[in-house]
Amino acid sequence: MLIYGLFAIYYVMTVNTIYFSIMAFSFRNILTIFRRSAYSKYNTLSGSELVPSVSLLVPAFNEELTVIENVKCLLTLNYPTYEVIVINDGSSDNTLGVLREEFGLEPLPNPEIRNSIDCQPINAVYYNPQYPHLYVIDKPNGGKADSLNAGINLSHYPLISSIDADSLLEKDALIRMARMYMENPEETVAIGGDVRIANGCLIENGAVKEVSLPRKMWPMFQAVEYLKAFLGGRIGWSSINGLIIVSGAFGLFRKDYVIAVGGYRGGYPGEDMNIIIKLHRYMLENKLKYRVAFCPEAVCWTQAPDTYRILSNQRKRWGRGNLKNMIENYDMAFNPKYKVMGLLTMPYNIIFEALNPYFKITGLLALLGYTLMDMTHWRILVVFGLINILSGYLLSVGALILEELAFKRFTKVSDLARLLLFSALKFVGYAQLGGLWRIQGHIQFLRNNNSWGTMTRTSWKEESKAAKTA
Amino acid sequence: MPNTAALQTKIEQTSLYSTIEHYVKEFAQEVNGVLFIYSADAPSYLEKQIRGILESQPGVSFELWSGSEPGSYAVLLPGQPLDAVHFQGLLLKQRIHDIIGELDLHMTLSSFPEQGELSEQVLKQMEESTKLSPSGDIHIFSRRELRSSQSRILIVEGDPTVREFLQIRLQMQGYETAVADNGISALELIESWNPHLVLTELNLYGIDGLPYIHHIQQLNVKKAPKIVVLTEQRVEQTISLCFQSGVDDYITKPFSPVELDARIRRCIY
Amino acid sequence: MYTHLTTAIYFIYVCLGLIGSGIVLLFAMKFNHLHKMKKSRQYLQKHHDYFKFIQSHMNGNSELPLPPGKLKELEGRVIQQKFIEWIDQFKGEFREKLIKLCHDAGFVRKDIKLLDSLFYGRRIAAAYRLGGMRAAEAVPRLLQMLKSERYTPLTIVVARAVAKSADNEEQLKEMLQHLLRHGKPIHHMAADIVMETRLDASRLLLKLLDDENQDLVKVALVAMWGQAIPEVVPSLDRLVGAEQTDVRAEAVKLYLSSNPVLKDDTIKNLMADKDWEVRATVAKSLGSLHAAGSIPLLRSALKDPNWWVRNNSAESLAKLGETGFEVLCQIAMNGTGVERETAMYHIERAMLQDQEHHKIDQMVAYNKKKLLYERYFGTTERRPVRQIAAVGGDYTA
Repeated sequence: MLIYGLFAIYYVMTVNTIYFSIMAFSFRNILTIFRRSAYSKYNTLSGSELVPSVSLLVPAFNEELTVIENVKCLLTLNYPTYEVIVINDGSSDNTLGVLREEFGLEPLPNPEIRNSIDCQPINAVYYNPQYPHLYVIDKPNGGKADSLNAGINLSHYPLISSIDADSLLEKDALIRMARMYMENPEETVAIGGDVRIANGCLIENGAVKEVSLPRKMWPMFQAVEYLKAFLGGRIGWSSINGLIIVSGAFGLFRKDYVIAVGGYRGGYPGEDMNIIIKLHRYMLENKLKYRVAFCPEAVCWTQAPDTYRILSNQRKRWGRGNLKNMIENYDMAFNPKYKVMGLLTMPYNIIFEALNPYFKITGLLALLGYTLMDMTHWRILVVFGLINILSGYLLSVGALILEELAFKRFTKVSDLARLLLFSALKFVGYAQLGGLWRIQGHIQFLRNNNSWGTMTRTSWKEESKAAKTA
Repeated sequence: MPNTAALQTKIEQTSLYSTIEHYVKEFAQEVNGVLFIYSADAPSYLEKQIRGILESQPGVSFELWSGSEPGSYAVLLPGQPLDAVHFQGLLLKQRIHDIIGELDLHMTLSSFPEQGELSEQVLKQMEESTKLSPSGDIHIFSRRELRSSQSRILIVEGDPTVREFLQIRLQMQGYETAVADNGISALELIESWNPHLVLTELNLYGIDGLPYIHHIQQLNVKKAPKIVVLTEQRVEQTISLCFQSGVDDYITKPFSPVELDARIRRCIY
Repeated sequence: MYTHLTTAIYFIYVCLGLIGSGIVLLFAMKFNHLHKMKKSRQYLQKHHDYFKFIQSHMNGNSELPLPPGKLKELEGRVIQQKFIEWIDQFKGEFREKLIKLCHDAGFVRKDIKLLDSLFYGRRIAAAYRLGGMRAAEAVPRLLQMLKSERYTPLTIVVARAVAKSADNEEQLKEMLQHLLRHGKPIHHMAADIVMETRLDASRLLLKLLDDENQDLVKVALVAMWGQAIPEVVPSLDRLVGAEQTDVRAEAVKLYLSSNPVLKDDTIKNLMADKDWEVRATVAKSLGSLHAAGSIPLLRSALKDPNWWVRNNSAESLAKLGETGFEVLCQIAMNGTGVERETAMYHIERAMLQDQEHHKIDQMVAYNKKKLLYERYFGTTERRPVRQIAAVGGDYTA
């Protein structure tokens, strides 16, 4: 029992050491990131004919409250040539209706859909020449992946970008990504954007006017979590080209390669991770030089779930999708053919991410049992606990330093103090819940329960009202 | 009694204006700068300070009078064109702030005949506008304040630097201006304020691009405003679509302000 | 047994230490930043009158005066920042005056000195600002920087600074060579950078078209897009037959945009090119050229394996009057597969678009098309959206 307990301690130390090294890569890159965005003027580029054109794909399922605001925001991006394709995925509410009314859309009599990728047959494509860059696809419910595939089939441009209907893009977000793409157009197959929590921010005219931290507890924990994952993790992983996920909320892809790997995989959640794994696999198997990049200066603001029920559903879904992806691609792990992906990313994700809660919980139980047998060994339990908490906290502090070095989005000193506080509070309850949800997700997967769970939204206007009164 | 006092002031005032006029004739300079200063809470030694500061400026000859009210002064700067007077004014303001600290200082300045004919009437208006001007800004008294009907131009621009510049420039040209920093409030302003011309960026918050142009034309106004686009957007297709939708002129950034003036004039007249 | 734990305990101490210093660092950085922001705001306020002065009198005949008073380090930066913003927005005399002002205020001299700083961050910041101030005298030093560094996102920053400041074409060319020597296909980015120059770019581009370095040729072709001048035609004539696919495609695009008179043979050859981009471009331009033999060519191009070629061909057919429109109708009735799809889509599009025209002649043309349309499809029938399975798929575009 003791041996296992010690093993668990060293397991935790190893996880965190790996995480520290990844974060070290983040630190190595952060100044370049800061400089490249501070010393670029995006407004000239954003009017240039030389920037590649992009199709934005926005899957929408029961989004009648937020979709108008989001589409309006997407129609006013700082970008020379792009189109917005909203895919109504068989919503049971009036998503299509509100869109049609707001933008005066009429069905196109003979829309041209290219059948590059299999997807459910669509009902109709709506369009209004007054909004020449907006299309709305109406199709029966088939899931997010299926919607994206339908969008790809209609899209007219060589780059596609998937965007969640509950997110707001910053005006410059897309041009920042495009700049990154133009720096190395041949090798870049995908670019991920930074996702931040909009709860608590003041939103006006479809844009975040004032950045502030969420006031509610659940979004606040997530804000801390996202900062750590995106700044501490993804910058580092992308610098060694081992990024395993580009957030579904905001990512840019080369359409030809997405089509070459057969588009998005439906049926399970986690299609955003799946497409990236498939791209890695395709490029490596065909011995093509490539990179999956991360562009932290391109920011997408998203509404985080603010109740326990919705949050737990989301996390269970992630757990389920994650496990499915790992099982599907287990052959890549420890296979030198797949380079960083096979030797580092996949093993890390299987051993240290997917299985993390099991090791931690069993380790805790083992040490607990050992201590109960002989109370004089309480110290070993304390050590286990401290290592867990301190190394985790150190990572959070590191992520905050990264934020402060490059972005400085939170202006108030009190915000900084709150971030530090919640980073610490996370270890009392929230982190454990995270593990629990992941395990529950795995159980759902094994029992073949594939429901999407519920997700309710508040309209942006209400969010903003709340932020104003606060 | 108060009536007499008022009358008294009036006489004094008139004599101040005529004194200035008289001096102008005497100096017989081609141009003459005039600067009015007013501060409600001025310390008594302010006049001495102003005199001292102006004297320390090399190559500046001046005449200083104090006005009827305490804290009100008039300065005549013979031979100084508008930009020189303006610069003297801002130097003076900065120096006074250095010496006395924060002080609510109002300034109106002008130069003649650059900005019109110098007369008692004009001087009186200048002094009044000094007292009424709301901010601590230095106010340039221009021809347009004498003219009654002007063309109204709405400036719609998200970038504060460009917005400020366009406003200053168009005001100096004698247009009446209003500004908006996003598409939504621009549409509202067009409806309520009825500008003759809208000088607008295409890339705005709220609503922008072609839908924005369409919306302007569908607004319920008596006479549709002319639309001049000033933007970074250089994609040819967008430009031709804009002209198709009835935009009157399209200028890309970086722009030449002189050219902009000409194009606006052509659109308005 | 506690020896097992020694590493673990050290680990804890190290963590504790790092956390402590991290938090101190965080707050220090935050306060420093906030202080700087506050100071900058104050300086902006202080010089508000001066900024307004400059903006009011930029077009006067006299030189612009320097900001009054002795400037502190940050104060100077704030003013410089403002000048650079203006320089970026204006053209012509205004810009020249501001550039001179930057010189006179000593901003240029200061930043050139910083180019030799030991800290990379300061060098790159200075390079960026020098570009903003269009400082020609810094160019040789900036080119040196480009030459000695490997390719990173910041290479673009330096290259832009050179492009903005360069006062002769040779420097621009040298910049391009340094930028492209890394073998990355960044021609679009390079073209965008070159176009930031103050010089007359068209002469340089013309020269680049005849360069032996294919990369430079590509940059020139891309940059010229939309502004082809008659002088380029001879060079383009040659490049249309170039070996490299992308050079050829770009050259054809540019060539056709200058509205040339094309021989039927040339059109035929180009429409049979093995590169789809070339075919698509030609198909598009045929819509406005009104060449006699183009209708049969476009008709067969509707079967092209590439979507863009099909699409552009149909669009051009719809533009070519009744004859072209009738061809589309025929195919929509009798054709099969992709050919029919494309034709149907564009018929509907043409009918929708033309409704908006108001001029008499356009109305007449529209009514003729409408008659044709009704003859083929009747008046009321609405066809449902069709769907074919993705067998064999269409992987183009």
